[in-house]
Amino acid sequence: MNRIAIAFSLLYLSTFSLHAQQPAHNEVVIKNAVVMTVTHGVVQSGSVYIKDGKIAAVGESVNAPASATVIDAGGKYLTPGIIDSHSHIALDDDVNEATSPVTPQMMMIDAFDYQDKAIYRGLAGGVTTSLLLHGSANMIGGQAVVIKHKYGLNRDAMLFPNAPRSIKFASGENPKRVYGSKDQLPSTRMGNFAVQREALTQAQDYMREWDAYNAKVKKGDKDASPPKRDLKMDALADVLRGNLLVQIHCYRADELLTEMAIAKEFGYKVRAFHHALEAYKVADQLAANNVAIATFSDWWGYKQEAWDAIPWNAVMSMRKGVRVAIKSDSEDFARRLNQEAAKTIRYGGATDDEALRMITLNPAWIIGVDDRVGSIDVGKDADLVIWDGYPLSSYGVPNKVFIDGDIYFDRSLPGFGMTHYSEGQ
Amino acid sequence: MKRTVIGRRSSVFGFVLCLTVFALGQQTPIALKDGKLLTVSHGTIENGVLIMQNGRISAVGNSSSVAIPVGARIIDVSGMTIYPGLIDSEDNLGLIEIDAEQSTNDLMEPSDEIMPHMHVYDAFHAESELIPVTRLNGVTNAVIAPDNKDTLPGQDSFVQLAGNSSLEMILVRDIAMPLNFTGEQRHNDWEKRKFPQTRMGQAAQLRQAFLDAQDYAQKWADYEKKKAEADQKPDPKDKKTADAKADKKSPPTPPKRDLKLEALLPYLQGKRPIVLAAEEANDLQTAVGLAREFNLKFILNHVSHSQPVLDYVASLKVPVIVGPIYEDPKPFERYDTVYSLPAQLYKRGVKIVFASYDAHNVRNLPYQAGYATAFGLPYDEALKAITLNAAETWGVADRLGSLDAGKTANVVVASGDPLDVRTDVKQVFIAGQEIPMTSRQTRLRDRYADR
Repeated sequence: MNRIAIAFSLLYLSTFSLHAQQPAHNEVVIKNAVVMTVTHGVVQSGSVYIKDGKIAAVGESVNAPASATVIDAGGKYLTPGIIDSHSHIALDDDVNEATSPVTPQMMMIDAFDYQDKAIYRGLAGGVTTSLLLHGSANMIGGQAVVIKHKYGLNRDAMLFPNAPRSIKFASGENPKRVYGSKDQLPSTRMGNFAVQREALTQAQDYMREWDAYNAKVKKGDKDASPPKRDLKMDALADVLRGNLLVQIHCYRADELLTEMAIAKEFGYKVRAFHHALEAYKVADQLAANNVAIATFSDWWGYKQEAWDAIPWNAVMSMRKGVRVAIKSDSEDFARRLNQEAAKTIRYGGATDDEALRMITLNPAWIIGVDDRVGSIDVGKDADLVIWDGYPLSSYGVPNKVFIDGDIYFDRSLPGFGMTHYSEGQ
Repeated sequence: MKRTVIGRRSSVFGFVLCLTVFALGQQTPIALKDGKLLTVSHGTIENGVLIMQNGRISAVGNSSSVAIPVGARIIDVSGMTIYPGLIDSEDNLGLIEIDAEQSTNDLMEPSDEIMPHMHVYDAFHAESELIPVTRLNGVTNAVIAPDNKDTLPGQDSFVQLAGNSSLEMILVRDIAMPLNFTGEQRHNDWEKRKFPQTRMGQAAQLRQAFLDAQDYAQKWADYEKKKAEADQKPDPKDKKTADAKADKKSPPTPPKRDLKLEALLPYLQGKRPIVLAAEEANDLQTAVGLAREFNLKFILNHVSHSQPVLDYVASLKVPVIVGPIYEDPKPFERYDTVYSLPAQLYKRGVKIVFASYDAHNVRNLPYQAGYATAFGLPYDEALKAITLNAAETWGVADRLGSLDAGKTANVVVASGDPLDVRTDVKQVFIAGQEIPMTSRQTRLRDRYADR
């Protein structure tokens, strides 16, 4: 490493401690690519100029300094990095704290196993950002962590800086099975929602106690004693204050409606319904409430509440105005979300642009990072994939994957094909 | 529009027509005209005609050279790609409806590891809602296997995915028997204190089962021999011997029948193949060793993590059901280790076939083949692996697997490349019958489409 790079790194380390071990960014031009921007069409023979890890220019030609590293894409396709808005990888099976149906104080970052090879395999499939969620055993699960797939770096360097906080809710068969099988509440859908309302009602009381205390303090009351802090209630109060994006595991149409009604009753917003396999039945209502869905392309029949799943769900919902993401919820699908998204072209006739949006910009919105990733636009993070084959087909395979302007995966390299990792590290 | 005949909106019409054709005994020939024919056996015919009559393909060729019979119903398939019905070499269709609902689960008997007398044909549910969903994507035939969590879970059936009953749909009963040795069959944990808990236990248990079956076969052979002697007509010229025989030889008692051991006999005699499932090299070699010990005829299944011994696999000169290629690599393996396995095997001259190993997602079989091409498998081989190679492996290539005159008319009409996820299957013919392009899923779609 030369002296300038070291100096730069030091500056970097001192400025942003979260970015420890982050490599210094090179200026890069990717040229001769078919650039699928997502937001403004396809540039047939385009270039992207990357500076300081961000996209600095996009177009048929770009103005870049002669010192920039040039990567000739050789006419291959270039897309934004894929974003997976529903993942449970890298949690070492610590997905569900299934000991109580209400566990909003669980922080998924506490279980985040940054060395899990599933992160690498997703990266090799073009995934650059994932939302790691609590499981669906509990009506109210834990708080998610958002990662960038910078495999080989240390834990904190893999966190998506300043990503909004998300919390996982769940409904339907899973909570009622988990607790019903222990002879506990809930064991029915009535029980499920009662548990959810009860917890939110307690949080309202908790907020009132704190509001009263804070008002006393504000008035100068020196004898005011603070209420007891409760991590559960802190988290739920943040839901009610709108400080957490609410991500709800939910399948059946009636439950989608109930969850929206409860949100209205308690004054919070549902960011997205996950799975949402019956969204096509109530798509108008989802669109009216600006609730997105993160769904499977064609997975179905694995349980009763997945029996009415149809592969046209994504496109039928999209046509009614719902923001639709295709997500993995599995180590396997995370490796080929491009193929899953391409199925929407066949089932319902999504345009290629719409299909690509379902694994880039739309999941970015669900996670709340659509202003920073999810499309090839100036100012966004340079999270990019060069593809062998057409990405929205059976044949698309990532050739190179960039995150914040640096290559993390290159198919042509021997071994694991990684630039920041070698076995035994 | 030229192609409306084959489009989605014609499904009702198609169904009525199908019934009519059936009532007429399928006498009216159907001609698919001006399509791109992927014959699999003899290349691609760009501007082709395919004729179906009496449930069979009666002619395949260039538009200019094939005469369309008088009275044939001509379907214009210009712009369409025509290919043989796809064959899935292992799945669980008809044995499960909803995974999490135990009442719909007939996948496997977990009470014992050695269950060769379980027959898929006894459980196969012809009216499963999964079957129309599957065939709508061009999969017309499948090897149905019990779940793989027993070492010997039972015997497979080869089915056709259309018909009025399981009797019509099951083409070959007991076509093969899986022998699973992947480590996943160890369901007796330490707590259970029940044999077998380990691979050693399972191998010993399998060996004993085959030895018992050999023993059983011997008992019956002895009995048959004695019975034959007893049944022998006394020679009237040899009065003395005849009298002696009548005195001493009463008819022998037959051995007690044992269905479990009986079920193993065709395999011990090499009459039918064992489907030998192993993933890692050590398991593969143990399993092959067992098969050799008892002279079993076998094909291989999975070999997903056997990359270090692929030359050995090739030396066995048997077909391999490879995959699923979506199987996760081991932590020490490169991300594409399993994706590239079909190409690696093909390079070594191994005949490969693909399987979905699924029930609900069997329709995605062709995409696995497509993905394998992105990792080095030649396109034609990928298509063969879900058509002709499969038909040959299962001994039904005289009837299935390619577009050739004389074969069963299992024919798919699609908007393009069969292996691409974007391709829309427009019409499926099974035994010459125009299959209604409807399923529970299309009905739900149509019901909510215009709301």
